[in-house]
Amino acid sequence: MFTKKDRKLGVAEGKRQYDLPLNKAEGSGFLILLISLMTFLAVIALAASFVLGAMTQRWTSGLENRLTVEIPAENEEGVILPNEDVKTLTADIAAALSKHPAVKNTEILGEEEIQELVSPWLGDDMVLKDIPLPGLISVQLHITNPDTLKVLENKVKDITPTARLDTHQTWLNDLLRFTGAMQFAAAMITLIIGVTTVTAVAGAIRSRMAEHRAEVELLHLMGAKDDYITEQFQRHALLLTLKGSTLGVLAGALVMTFISLISGDTAAALVPDFKLNALHMITLFLLPVIACAISAFTARHTVLHVLADMP
Amino acid sequence: MIKFENVGLRYGIGPEVLGDINFTLDPGSFHFLTGPSGAGKTSLMSLIYLGRRPTRGLVTMFGQNISDLDRRKLVPIRQRIGVVFQDFRLLPHLSAFDNVALPLRILGRPEKEIDNNVNELLDWVGLGDKTNVLPPTMSGGEQQRIAIARAVIARPRLLLADEPTGNLDDEIGFRLMHLFDQLNRMGTTIVIATHNQAIIDKLGHPCLVLDSGHLHVDEPKNWIQKKIEGVF
Ligand SMILES: Nc1ncnc2c1ncn2[C@@H]1O[C@H](COP(=O)(O)OP(=O)(O)OP(=O)(O)O)[C@@H](O)[C@H]1O
Ligand SMILES: [Mg+2]
Repeated sequence: MFTKKDRKLGVAEGKRQYDLPLNKAEGSGFLILLISLMTFLAVIALAASFVLGAMTQRWTSGLENRLTVEIPAENEEGVILPNEDVKTLTADIAAALSKHPAVKNTEILGEEEIQELVSPWLGDDMVLKDIPLPGLISVQLHITNPDTLKVLENKVKDITPTARLDTHQTWLNDLLRFTGAMQFAAAMITLIIGVTTVTAVAGAIRSRMAEHRAEVELLHLMGAKDDYITEQFQRHALLLTLKGSTLGVLAGALVMTFISLISGDTAAALVPDFKLNALHMITLFLLPVIACAISAFTARHTVLHVLADMP
Repeated sequence: MIKFENVGLRYGIGPEVLGDINFTLDPGSFHFLTGPSGAGKTSLMSLIYLGRRPTRGLVTMFGQNISDLDRRKLVPIRQRIGVVFQDFRLLPHLSAFDNVALPLRILGRPEKEIDNNVNELLDWVGLGDKTNVLPPTMSGGEQQRIAIARAVIARPRLLLADEPTGNLDDEIGFRLMHLFDQLNRMGTTIVIATHNQAIIDKLGHPCLVLDSGHLHVDEPKNWIQKKIEGVF
């Protein structure tokens, strides 16, 4: 009795897809895995850089045009001023600043707000009246540039030389430098992923070419154009990459959903209402397309290179 | 159609396998290529089907000097040549049908036309019932017939066959020679390398005789006989 398998032995199965047995090539699984891993990493790196981008934008747009003026509760000689004096000074400075065209509005922080700010350090039960409180003015500006800041600073110092302007510039700069570095790292990772993919695909195609050298040469001798041969390898690389990168993107999307679920509130606090917008989604799902393009191009280039050596 | 002038070939840094080859093949001619084993028949064939470039000399094919042409221009020349390789060179993972269909697919012919032509030819060479069989599971003679079918399917202007009857019994051998003869009558130029004296005698076409790398043209007569007689 023949089983189905016996009968199939030595008989071509299914429709012919390639002249070369590329679809049965060994190591395809490995390449798919590698590409899916690379795409997965690319998704994560891209998502991270999107989040960083959103964070930076948020911080800069919120803080750049804002500064805080602090009026210490002591004068130049270190003598503690009565709270009333500090309040008067604060009001004077706020009034003076408000007159400047670059200033949008000023807001004097009340005692409760200051208490709120200092309570983590001093404890809730401190009686405010007992300690000298500094005056704080939150200033919103229309524009921020060094010249304007200088002018405003002079204005403030004219009234009381001990006053300090906190432009948030220093720590913002640190933060921006940090997120910049992170984004650069993400970009480098993406680049490395690209290079690795190209190398892997080129290596795989080269070994397929070596494996089927005799067949490729035969096609060449029969008058097959370079394109005819190239297309088969290109299609092969394209299919593998499509499989791998789709897997990678799906895995990446899954992991990101998971992360946002478990970190929920923390993430929201850190990155207030950050959501992947349509553009981000398109970019992420464009990854397989980009990967396929890179892969097909690499395969084509590799095959043409080998064919060029044939008589 | 084909002209070799002072052509020489060496493999790597080895000795010259072919030296000072001079001959002309007119369109529509039919030649046998013969000579002892190792004389260089297969090597000469490979020069004609552009599988190798000669190390020296001038090769003119279809009126064009081969060494002047760039890669791209060689493609249409190759498409006009059908080759039966001594070792067949069938693609092992492709069915008999797909192996024979290969030249037509390379030429980009429509699948319907391919279907008709290939099945008809497979029937003709007696393999109509093996269209789906893979070459490695076929007998030597069956593989040889697939190789011949593949070489002629696209109606080449020039047909080269290297020992095309080596594995075939006399009946099918003559049948295939008859096919070659028919193709020749339809205008195909044919060169067949063979040791089979019976076939050479029967068909009575001129012989290109290779001996230790040198070639001379012989009118239809038994060259082995001549050799025995000490003519050369
Ligand atoms: N690829 C190769 N590399 C090096 N030497 C080769 C190669 N192919 C053939 N030769 C040498 O060239 C010479 C001629 O070989 P060729 O195959 O052309 O002979 P042939 O006439 O076809 O012989 P046969 O009748 O046995 O098929 C031989 O000495 C062989 O060793
Ligand atoms: Mg030979």
